[in-house]
Amino acid sequence: MSAPALSPLPYVDTKPQGSADFYYAVNATFRFLLQRLGVEGWQRYLEEMGRGYFEPVNRQWSQGGLPAVARYWRAFFAAEPGAVVDVVERPDRVEVQVRECPAIKHLRAGKREIVGEYCRHCYFLGSARAEAAGLTMRLSGGSGSCCHTYARPDAGLAPQDLRAIKEARS
Amino acid sequence: MIGSYDFCGHYEWTFGWFDRVGGHALVRDYWNEAINHDSQSHARELIRREGIPGMLKYWGHTLLEESPDLGFNITHTADVFRIDFHDCPSRGFLRRNGLKNYHDYCDHCMGWTGPMLGEAGYVIDHEHNHLGQCWWEMRKAGTPDGHAPAGSVAGAKDVRLRPDWPKDPAKLDRYTKANDPDAKMP
Repeated sequence: MSAPALSPLPYVDTKPQGSADFYYAVNATFRFLLQRLGVEGWQRYLEEMGRGYFEPVNRQWSQGGLPAVARYWRAFFAAEPGAVVDVVERPDRVEVQVRECPAIKHLRAGKREIVGEYCRHCYFLGSARAEAAGLTMRLSGGSGSCCHTYARPDAGLAPQDLRAIKEARS
Repeated sequence: MIGSYDFCGHYEWTFGWFDRVGGHALVRDYWNEAINHDSQSHARELIRREGIPGMLKYWGHTLLEESPDLGFNITHTADVFRIDFHDCPSRGFLRRNGLKNYHDYCDHCMGWTGPMLGEAGYVIDHEHNHLGQCWWEMRKAGTPDGHAPAGSVAGAKDVRLRPDWPKDPAKLDRYTKANDPDAKMP
């Protein structure tokens, strides 16, 4: 099955969902980065990926505003196996309410040792992408369920408290 | 969130990032330490324990999940395990989406499977054309050098029998009885 030509996803595949075992590689990549380059190196990797690899999405968000953000996250999680997510649109923000994180769920099912910092990757990556699109991003919760908030600058979100992001547990 | 749907895209982007930050040595270490020894530890343990039947279990499952359109063919006997990719799902994803952040994405397969199979006592014959077609034969270490003739293991499914398979070896990356991603034949 091909993704529709007007998919909100910038990169499309011939199959409708990804293979969940790829979460093993994402978790292992984070462990390698943290061991070799430390937290600062890992954070830099995520921020550069956010501005570089995800540039087409950031451009969509910049041009389409919050409705484009909501469309993207609905399409994104529809393509992630095992995700249970609600995307709620409010006047000044979009809340991505992750009730079951597909990655944490699969890593636990596979009895993998989850990198403790795993959930913070969504903040470092997401905030770099939001900033590139003229938005702000905050994250709360984690370790299986969380809430990502993408907002217009005038929404006046409080600064991110990294302690609001839970350590991921296996 | 980094997802699984476009995994091959950010995975390829990651090779380029490591290459810029730490050079080729860091890319090699990433493939071996993060992919072989961590992410794919289930494959590593299975193949070390069972040999060719373990390869069949691992790649039979994985390739079916990644490539439900069956762009590949598996052949196995007691002595050899062979895969022919006629339409690599991973390279195909990158080509369709115009993604290139690393000079040779295809090297990653030898980058992690080479050391993994070496640790299990196997060596690899392999060629890839960078366009989504390649072939692999895994045999016990100590097998004499050289490639088996086209069609001798996989019959008509041998990717080398395709009309578009390059006749010029210079257009291929080639390995014989190898485990090291840098051990390309001249």
